Amino acid sequence: MSITNLLENWSDFRQQHPSDDRPHREYKWAMSIDLDSCTGCNACSVACYAENNLPVVGKEKFAHGHSHHWIRIERYWDNDGREFADQGAQFLPMLCQHCESAPCETVCPVGATNHTADGLNSQVYNRCVGSRYCNANCPYKVRYFNWYNYPTIDNVWPEPMNQQLNPDVTVRSKGVMEKCTFCVQRLTVAKSDARTKGRSVLDGEVQTACQQVCPTGAISFGNLVDPEAKVGKQWMKQQVDLNKDKQAKDAAEEAVKLRGYRILEELRTYPSVMYLEQLRESAI
Amino acid sequence: MYCFLRLSVLLVGLIASAGSYAVNAVQPLTTADDLGPKVEQPIEFPHDRHAGDAAKGGMQINCMYCHTYARRSIVAGIPPLQKCIGCHQSIESVRETPRIKKLFEYWEAKKAVPWKKVHDLPDFVRFNHERHIQRFVFAQNKPVQEACGYCHGDVKTMTVARRQKPLSMGWCVSCHQKDHPVDATSTKTTHGPNDCWQCHK
Repeated sequence: MSITNLLENWSDFRQQHPSDDRPHREYKWAMSIDLDSCTGCNACSVACYAENNLPVVGKEKFAHGHSHHWIRIERYWDNDGREFADQGAQFLPMLCQHCESAPCETVCPVGATNHTADGLNSQVYNRCVGSRYCNANCPYKVRYFNWYNYPTIDNVWPEPMNQQLNPDVTVRSKGVMEKCTFCVQRLTVAKSDARTKGRSVLDGEVQTACQQVCPTGAISFGNLVDPEAKVGKQWMKQQVDLNKDKQAKDAAEEAVKLRGYRILEELRTYPSVMYLEQLRESAI
Repeated sequence: MYCFLRLSVLLVGLIASAGSYAVNAVQPLTTADDLGPKVEQPIEFPHDRHAGDAAKGGMQINCMYCHTYARRSIVAGIPPLQKCIGCHQSIESVRETPRIKKLFEYWEAKKAVPWKKVHDLPDFVRFNHERHIQRFVFAQNKPVQEACGYCHGDVKTMTVARRQKPLSMGWCVSCHQKDHPVDATSTKTTHGPNDCWQCHK
């Protein structure tokens, strides 16, 4: 992308607010995560490490907050004044929410993080200079900075471990920010295959790594523009609108059973990940 | 004093801007010097003999006969040795020439020819051969050698291929920014994709 292109089509790359006059034409990748199905097994996180060449940093660096889990399981304990929580932990997989109006995008001094036409929040490692401003502005804290030179000096993948690196994903070097990409390497392949066949990507043709391994099928991923997509039907059923910062659930009476919500929606980030509230009671 | 300061600031600014202008001066995208490095191949493969025009002694073989993966895969791949042998086992006239002898040595040793990479993109770039070939050759009916030549130059006149184009981002974008017809008959135009994640990974 040249600088002329960036300046001329500024509004395409930096969306201030999602608007009806500039809808997603072909693709809008989105996700929904059913917290009722999530067992907190961490398989999604492991799959992400394998798929996206994430370095395993070790205990000490993890304690310093230098870990690289693009998808992490957050645990919440509802003790309610008791010594032990009644229901055990509640789990929430947290990943980049690919906000339609992303706070990280507006603050990048070099334009390394942009919005793609498919509604992804892109991070271009070549352009990143490591100001970490995006990380500071991300309300979900899902951006991870390379504090160390993991491939070379830290030697996270010694021989023959380097053989397991995914060739479709860059191995990031020191000083760049990285984050969940919705497995863009898989999306690109699926899109170009579909285009060669002269159609759009069908629902189920492309899976993210976390979705693929989830043993309970809690994660669904797809194209929100496609009326046949499962993810779109879920959003529709839960009456969650991508372009609104208040959903029907907020106003609903007790009787209406809506479970879908998006995290920190009131910040008007318009996230692309919908969570389905946990229903099950008393795991113990 | 202030006047002197102001003048010196101005002078420094001038010198700095002149310096940066020299650095930013636009380089011509393709020059004769812009060729890639010379690559020593295990067998000096004569592209001109295989793909060249008949008038110049070439066989006019389609690029995609050997580079068969280009139209159906992200990477063009290297033609397997079977491909060479497939024809050359029945071409008796050149069988005793040094290069073909070498070729058959590899074949009999059951070893792949260790061809060297000529067009090497950095690891952070994703280039899809299939989409380009499908678009230019199959959708727009461009001649194969012209379509391949956009990036690879006029290979049919070379012996061992050598990089002809800079293959830099600015060079890719110089084409992606242009409007091209959608297919051979349509008047509709469109340009190549231009968001970062299309090529950067």
